[in-house]
Amino acid sequence: MTAFTFDAQPTAALFDRQGAVFALGDGSVRFASGERTEAHDGAVLCAAVHPSGDGIVTGGDDGKLVWTRRDAAAVLATVKGWVDAVAAAPGTGLIAFSSGRTASVLDVKDDLFRRDFAHERTVAALAFDPKGRRLAAATYGGAALWFARIESQKPTMMKWAGSHTAVAFAPDGRFLFTAMQDNQLHGWRLSDAKDMRMGGYPARIRDMSFLAKGRLMATSGAHGGVLWPLSGANGPMGQSAIEIGREGDDTVVTAVASSPAHGYLAAGLADGRVWLAEPAGDRLNWLSEDRGAPVVALSMNADASSVCWAREDGEAGVVDLQSAIA
Amino acid sequence: MTDKIPVTVLTGYLGAGKTTLLNRILTEDHGKRYAVIVNEFGEIGIDNDLVVGADEDVFEMNNGCVCCTVRGDLIRVVSGLMKRQRPGQPAFDAIIVETTGLADPGPVAQTFFVDADVQAKTQLDSVTALVDARHVMARLDDSKEAREQVAFADRIILNKTDLASEDELATVERRLRGLNPLAPITRAVRADVPLDQVLGLGGFDLERIRDLHPEFDTPGSGPAHGEPGHVHDEHCGHDHHGHEHGHDHGHHDHDGELDTLDSPSGARGHAHQDDIRGVSLSLDRPIDGARFTRWLDELLASKGQDILRAKGIIDVHGEDRRLVFQAVHMILEGDLQREWGDTERRWSRAVFIGRDLDEAALKAGFEACAA
Repeated sequence: MTAFTFDAQPTAALFDRQGAVFALGDGSVRFASGERTEAHDGAVLCAAVHPSGDGIVTGGDDGKLVWTRRDAAAVLATVKGWVDAVAAAPGTGLIAFSSGRTASVLDVKDDLFRRDFAHERTVAALAFDPKGRRLAAATYGGAALWFARIESQKPTMMKWAGSHTAVAFAPDGRFLFTAMQDNQLHGWRLSDAKDMRMGGYPARIRDMSFLAKGRLMATSGAHGGVLWPLSGANGPMGQSAIEIGREGDDTVVTAVASSPAHGYLAAGLADGRVWLAEPAGDRLNWLSEDRGAPVVALSMNADASSVCWAREDGEAGVVDLQSAIA
Repeated sequence: MTDKIPVTVLTGYLGAGKTTLLNRILTEDHGKRYAVIVNEFGEIGIDNDLVVGADEDVFEMNNGCVCCTVRGDLIRVVSGLMKRQRPGQPAFDAIIVETTGLADPGPVAQTFFVDADVQAKTQLDSVTALVDARHVMARLDDSKEAREQVAFADRIILNKTDLASEDELATVERRLRGLNPLAPITRAVRADVPLDQVLGLGGFDLERIRDLHPEFDTPGSGPAHGEPGHVHDEHCGHDHHGHEHGHDHGHHDHDGELDTLDSPSGARGHAHQDDIRGVSLSLDRPIDGARFTRWLDELLASKGQDILRAKGIIDVHGEDRRLVFQAVHMILEGDLQREWGDTERRWSRAVFIGRDLDEAALKAGFEACAA
């Protein structure tokens, strides 16, 4: 394990194709390999891996969207307010970001390409579908679905009353899920917009991630890691979730991470610890047993060989899973 | 005790002097760092402080509570501001939220009680309403928001007093007190109030509910608070319901007396009959704790939409400590506080500020809680 102590609050912990990257509340982007860039004059509010897999794209409260690599940094866009959300689509090379009620799309291969999609209410989160062609924007009253490249269009509204704060597509593209301000998930089957309410959470759901070849969706927001079955025509509709790694009621899972192709689930807890588990297994592998500030960011790399996390107090780590489990 | 960042909300219609007050807060040499959440980026913003735009994004919670509206923009902005916080040291000494003249203060305040993330990092300190002496009467007549802002406030700053006569000021103050008997009124000329009358008031802090002396303009109770000379000015400081004014509180001495502005026998100082007003209740007999809690819960559940603020100190039968409570619409906080003093008068007081309050029902319900 490699440990880091940052003097700022982490916003994101990600893996680009070379290794772990942290984006922080002081506006800096710090690579686990040691490089550091002051990307923003202010806090990093959101981050995503660049579609190329090289470096990360961050949005800041300075109104800038910045692409930071180990050896270079470039401002991709500037807005008047804050850049609240960012998402990237490796398949199509598109980057989406939002500021206030507008979600915008950029194309890494075409500097002149830009789409601006207006919403009635503030956009809280963005996600591309697995092919990178459609963009979902979580907002008040549901999620808006846009064709990412089309200039003039009316979005398809997946409606559900309330404030939607996070959004994700299932890896097979059949379902769209949002996390809501009041501790529940909502899901839609895209083929017929049939929707499902997925509740019972004791805490805010910040993360959704997919594992086991897309057959399971994991979320934070409960005492253990929550797993919803996605296989079958109806996905989680009519199914119950299972909770793994629950020790008791003392702490909650604040972050989850997994890789769609693999079977591991990593979870970060409000008490600062991090575990790794296999849904079928019966034990937790502690990746970090030090208690402290809540885990606020967590990621697993694509081949499920490594996990990185960061705590609110600036403590962070990167761990190789093979050595951690052995 | 707490490392939560205090949040002060400034309300007031356009032209009341909010920007002037904000600029004063930011430019005064206090060595503090503030984050200011404004509705539009205006002519404020000092080096050391951060000014952020918000867009009055009001939404309803899905928790089944009809009046549980919160400000989504504030959740977002506060969460964003907190990212600047460095480990172990707060990013800001305080957050100041400026609202527009059309803003309903309820959702602003409720955001700080309802959203778990916001609540974990911040603490609503108080709501200050600015009104200007010259235009306030007209605004109160034609604007529901203006009445609600005054009624909701922990402190009212009566600004631009140089533009009104003493008689006019007295009339204005009487009406303001009718709308809100709890908030001290501070007179100001160019929003020139000491900062400690705006920041750090602890308006929602149960620990600070030490005494309640609602400022009622009660007919027949002698020289009332509404008279000139009883203005709460800067000398009041934090001790905003202090006894040093020598106010005549004799009218509280009757068992179960109800104070109200709309007593039919009393002459009104003005012709206004506001839909919002304060109702003050008191009881000299101990109160049955369980019965009172049930009554209050039911009252807030059924009338919480119309009740903007409530505060009380209750003498619970068989309990040596004072029960204090405060409520914002349906959100209620209560706690047992310090013990009653040996020489202290043990009595229960509660004030409800709200819309179309049925004072007779409130009085009857309150008195029925007697042990």
